[in-house]
Amino acid sequence: MQLFWLSVGFGLVTASVLAISAVGLSLQFGITNYINFAYGDFMALGAFITYVLNNEVLHWNIWVALVAGSLAIGVLAVILNRLILSPFARRFSKSFYVLIVTFGLSLVLLNIEYSIWGADVRFFQMPIDRALHIGPLLLTKYQLIVMAIAIVLMLGVHAMLKTTRLGKSMRAMSDNTTLAMTSGIDTKRITTITWFLSGTLAGLAGAVLGITEGNLTPASGELFLFVIFAAVIVGGVGSIYGAMAGAVLIGLATEISAAFINPAYKLDTAFVILILTLLVRPAGLFARPGKA
Amino acid sequence: MSNIWYYVFTLVFFLFDYFILAMGLNIQYGETGILNFAYIGFVAVGSYVTGALALPSSVGTGQHYILGLGLPFPVNLLLGGLASCGLAVVVALISLRRLRTDYLAMVLISLSLVLYDICNNFVPLFNGADGLYNVPEPFAGVLKLTTNSFIPFFAAVTGVIAALLWWVMSRITRSPQGRTFRAIRDDEVVAAALGKDVFRNQLKSMLIGSFYAGVGGGLIIQFSGSFNPTAWLPGETFVVFAVLIVGGVGNNVGMLVGSLVVETLLIHLPAFLPAIPGHPGLIEYFDSVLIGILLMAMLWFRPQGIVPERVRRALSLGAPANLVAGRGEAPGGAPARPVPVEIATADAQGEK
Repeated sequence: MQLFWLSVGFGLVTASVLAISAVGLSLQFGITNYINFAYGDFMALGAFITYVLNNEVLHWNIWVALVAGSLAIGVLAVILNRLILSPFARRFSKSFYVLIVTFGLSLVLLNIEYSIWGADVRFFQMPIDRALHIGPLLLTKYQLIVMAIAIVLMLGVHAMLKTTRLGKSMRAMSDNTTLAMTSGIDTKRITTITWFLSGTLAGLAGAVLGITEGNLTPASGELFLFVIFAAVIVGGVGSIYGAMAGAVLIGLATEISAAFINPAYKLDTAFVILILTLLVRPAGLFARPGKA
Repeated sequence: MSNIWYYVFTLVFFLFDYFILAMGLNIQYGETGILNFAYIGFVAVGSYVTGALALPSSVGTGQHYILGLGLPFPVNLLLGGLASCGLAVVVALISLRRLRTDYLAMVLISLSLVLYDICNNFVPLFNGADGLYNVPEPFAGVLKLTTNSFIPFFAAVTGVIAALLWWVMSRITRSPQGRTFRAIRDDEVVAAALGKDVFRNQLKSMLIGSFYAGVGGGLIIQFSGSFNPTAWLPGETFVVFAVLIVGGVGNNVGMLVGSLVVETLLIHLPAFLPAIPGHPGLIEYFDSVLIGILLMAMLWFRPQGIVPERVRRALSLGAPANLVAGRGEAPGGAPARPVPVEIATADAQGEK
C-alpha cells in the first residue's frame, strides 16, 4: 500500500508536468489546426536555457532561471512561427506540409541542441531535502512547488479563456477562424500571442520536467512528447480541459504501472490507454464536435 | 580489394535500399495520402523477422530471439515483408478508419516509439538493446564469398531486387488501382462518392507499402549482418520522407534521385569524413541540421521535388490536349505549369 501511495505522489507530479505541456500544445493546435512536432524540442531547449542560467553562467536562482528560460522559448516560438510555420500554413492548404515542416524543425532544433550541449546527461543540482508527509503521500518541496505551479497555471488558463477578451477571441478562432476574422478579431495577433503562450508553456514544462526528473539530455523533450500526445488524444485533441484531464489520467497510470509492473514499460502503458481510448471513444474523452 | 571500393559498394547498397524504402512510403503517402509517421517501425519489423528467420535456433548463441529457423535467403526476406504487412493490418484496423491526418500522425509516431521501446526493453523478443548480430550472409557458403567480395555481390543483388520492385510498382501506379489511390489522395469524399471504398483501398496501399518497407529492412540486416534499436529511432522515418520529398513525391524515378541525394550524398558520405577532434558526433549533428533545412527549403522552393510527378492524361475523354492555364498544384503543391484540363481534377489542388 505504501508503494501505491508513493507512486500516486509521483503520478501527480508527472501529471502536473504533463498538464502544463499538454495545455501548451492544445492551445496552439486549437488555433492553428496543426500539430507542432517540434514541441518536445522547445521543451528541451527551455530546460537547457534554465540549466545554463542556473548552473553554468550567472548562477541565478532556479525559479528565476526557469522564468527566463520559458520566456525565451515563447519568443523563439513567435519567431519560428513568423518566419517558417505561418508562411507554409498560408501557402499550402493541406495540413501535412506544415506537419512535415514541424518535423524538420524538430530535427534541426534537436541537432543544434546536440551540437551545443552534446549527448551527455546533465543533472540539475537541487539541494537535497527531506520529503514531507501530506496525508498518505510523500513529496519533496520541489515536487510540491511544481504541482503548485501547474495548479496556478491551469486556473490562470481557465480564467483567461473564460473571462478575458483575449481568451474569448482564442476560443472563437479555435471554433472557426474565418468566422472569427469576419467578426473583427485580429487573427494574426491572436495567433502570435498563442504561439508565445504555447512556447512559454513548453519551455516551462521542459524545465520542470528536468527539475522533477533531475536529469536532462537533448532527447528528453522528444521522448516526453509522446506521453503528451497520449494525454492530449485521450482528453480530446484541441480541448483544453480534456488535455488537463488526460494529463492526470496518463500521469497517474504511467507512474502506478511503473511501480507495479516495470518502469521500462511506462511509455507502453500510456500507449495502451491511448489505443483503448481510440477503440472506445475515438475522439477522446472530452471530444469537440468537428475536430476529429 | 581496396577500402575505397568497400565504401563505394556500401553507398551503392544504401542507394538501392532506400530506393525500395522510398517507393514503399511513396505508395502510402505520395499516391494514397496516408501520412505514415511510423514507417521506420515497419522497416524494423521486416528487418528483425528476416534476421531472426535466417539465424539458427537461439540456444547456446548468447543471443535471445524468437523464431530462429535458419531459413535460406529469399524465403526469409519474403516472410519479413509479410510480417511487416501483418503489422500494417493491425495498425490500419485500429487507427486508419478512425482518424484524420494530424491524429493519425500523432498515433503513428507514438506507435513507432512504442515498438522501439518494446524491442529495446523486452530481451526475449529480438535481443533487446543489443539487437540481432551474426546473421548469416546469404549465399556466402554456396558461392564461397569472402567478407570483401560479399559487399559488391550483395549490392548487386539489392539492385536486382530494387529493379524488380520498381517494375511492379510502376505497374501498380499505372493501373486503375493506382488511379483509385490518387483519387483518394486528392479527395477522399469525392472518391467515396464515386463508389470507391476508401478504407479498403487505404488498407491495400498500406499493405503494399509495408511489404516494401519489410523487404528494405530485411535487406539491411542481410547486408550488415546486424540490426539494433539505434538504427531505427522514430526520427529515421524523417529521412525516408526527405528522400521522397527531395526526389519528387508521386514519381518512382524521383525516389532513386532522392535516395542518391539524401541517403547516399548527405547521410552516408559524411559518415566517412574524419571526426572533428574533441567533438564526437558533431559532423552527424550538422548533417542532420542540414537535412532538415534542405527539406524545408525544398518544400518551399520546389515542392514537386527534383523529378516532379508526371502529368497523366486521361485519353479516353478524347479532349484535345490543349493546355488550360490552371493554377494547379502537383502533390508536392507546385506552383504549377499549365495542366491539361482533364487531369486537373485528379492531380491538382489549388493553393489556398
